[in-house]
Amino acid sequence: MSPRSTQGAGEPAFSGPAADRPDPDAATENGRILVVDDTPFNRQLLSRLLRTIGHEPLEAGDGRAALELLRDPSIAPVDVILLDIVMPEMDGYETLAALKADPLLRDLPVIVISGVDELESVVRCIEMGAADYLPKSVDPAILRARIAASLGQKRLRDLEREAGERQAATNDVLAIMSRAAFDLQVVVDAVVQAATSLTAADFGVIYLHSDDGYRVAATAGGSPELDAWERAHPIPPARDTLVGRIALIGEAIRLDDVLADPEYAPSAGRQIGGYRSLVGVPIVRDGAVAGVLALARNVVRPFGPADTALATGFAEQAAIGLGNARLLETIDRQRAQLARFLSPQVAALVSSPDGESMLAGHRREITAMFCDLRNFTTFSETAEPEEVLGFLRLYHATIGALVVAHDGTLEHFAGDGIMVFFNDPELQVDHAERAVRLARDIRERFKDVAADWRRRGHVLEVGIGIATGYATMGRIGFEGRYDYGGVGNAIILASRLSGEAAPGEILISQRTHAAVDGALGAESAGERQLKGFSRPIAVYSVGPGAGVGPDMTANGPSEVAS
Amino acid sequence: MTETPIDRGVFEALVEMTGGEMEFVDELVDTYLDDGRQQIDALREALATGDAAALVRPAHSLKSNSLNVGALGLGGLCRELEESARSGAVPDAADRVDAIEQGFSGVRTALLAERADRSEPAPGG
Repeated sequence: MSPRSTQGAGEPAFSGPAADRPDPDAATENGRILVVDDTPFNRQLLSRLLRTIGHEPLEAGDGRAALELLRDPSIAPVDVILLDIVMPEMDGYETLAALKADPLLRDLPVIVISGVDELESVVRCIEMGAADYLPKSVDPAILRARIAASLGQKRLRDLEREAGERQAATNDVLAIMSRAAFDLQVVVDAVVQAATSLTAADFGVIYLHSDDGYRVAATAGGSPELDAWERAHPIPPARDTLVGRIALIGEAIRLDDVLADPEYAPSAGRQIGGYRSLVGVPIVRDGAVAGVLALARNVVRPFGPADTALATGFAEQAAIGLGNARLLETIDRQRAQLARFLSPQVAALVSSPDGESMLAGHRREITAMFCDLRNFTTFSETAEPEEVLGFLRLYHATIGALVVAHDGTLEHFAGDGIMVFFNDPELQVDHAERAVRLARDIRERFKDVAADWRRRGHVLEVGIGIATGYATMGRIGFEGRYDYGGVGNAIILASRLSGEAAPGEILISQRTHAAVDGALGAESAGERQLKGFSRPIAVYSVGPGAGVGPDMTANGPSEVAS
Repeated sequence: MTETPIDRGVFEALVEMTGGEMEFVDELVDTYLDDGRQQIDALREALATGDAAALVRPAHSLKSNSLNVGALGLGGLCRELEESARSGAVPDAADRVDAIEQGFSGVRTALLAERADRSEPAPGG
């Protein structure tokens, strides 16, 4: 459902006197014309003529009064000026010069009123930037034609300027959205700012749906007092507010004057804000009104269809921003959920841009560490099942924390067996060293756990194997149950070395030993004949380290094997 | 008094311009007469202070208004005074202002008579 402008039949918001008001944007032929002349006779005559041909006249007795009127923000803008030359206070030339010097008034067409004997002055005025001139004994047909021509020029210039401003503001918002696509606050702030300034509104608000109604997400132009009030008062869907009404019908609404609307309930917020003319458009997401962009003017100057269209465009950008932010929230939530089941590295991989290709399978050098318990089978047969589960919980918690601390990728826990990779999916230059440090910390930490259980009559020791080599890593399993894992000799070797290790021993392969360059106190432990390997394999045993924790390198030079 | 001080054609054009709404024509004439009185007062004041430049604006205003209601003779007198005053020296200013005041008085009488003619039913049909 796309938001529609609410013109024509069935419009619920327009009722009572407001419906009789001429549409401000439809009046392309009619203009507000300022008559500047010192003689009441001329003002009266010109005003009358202007009214007869459908324009709205305003009057000023001299140039100074005219400039005051043109600069008064509470008076709606003028389209064309009819300017007499000979006037007291400030004459036509001075007035023209002041108009042309004011960037906000420079483009207003000025028609000089002049007698036929004053052509010299007319030339001077045109040189100063007047658009045209009218003889004093004015013919209505000529007046109509000249005003229409000037109005046409002005409308064209206004359209060009507005189009330029709108384009620039839209570009600004798009640029902000591309820079901060997932930062909803930045997006709604930019949208409400642009919409408020481009529709010449005094106050703009973006409300977003929440459990207790529509809450303020961003404002522009309002006083701090009004801002605070609006933020403290979420709006429920109901016909007595603009926002509530849009929430109900899901369409754009214009209220020409809230005080003339029979259903509108004047709130304390309206009292503070003092707004009269309103326009609001829904921010639609998944067919629901996810929010409302509302714009207000503090005088009765109704918004037109062009304002509604502009606001609708901005509301669509807010909807995109909202969609992006929700998407990000969903991804974050999923990542958090995944992280409870998967190794954090794998969870991050699943939601990363190149996750799919990584999961599909890739070949990489890794270091695998396999750790299991000596005597676990005996223990599980002799101990009470509750004791076994309690022990496993403690064992997993202890080792799990160490794996995380060393940035290892946990492949699985299976009973007493634990498989950890390094250098995948996250690249780690020192993967072999990390694996050895983790193994040493596990052995160190497990000593306390083991001592505790030894007092209860159970002898439990870890045996750890580490091997480095190429493996194919990725998604392993079948639809409905996949694991992240690897296939390769290094993985099998790590498992075999773990089985070969004596209680409390860490056995590492020759490649791992080479990778750590003999550091970390590993010594040759001869060659072993291992199941699945045709030739004997050279293995090294890691000596006791001094410290616990990934950053502990105090066991330095004295321990380095030569 | 030579001819009628109001040019019938110009006055009819003014009436036509207002869409034939005689009430508005009456309003305009009243405005013209009030304003004209003020312009003549301003001319007299300028005369009293001997300030030729101060003659320009009232002469100008009375001129253009007079031309609009069809008081072409009065308008001409005002134009001449305006032009002389702009050039800086008006030796016979007092006479000219007298003439303008007289002219204005004649125009006033004619305009009010026109209005009276309209409100009275035409004598002898």
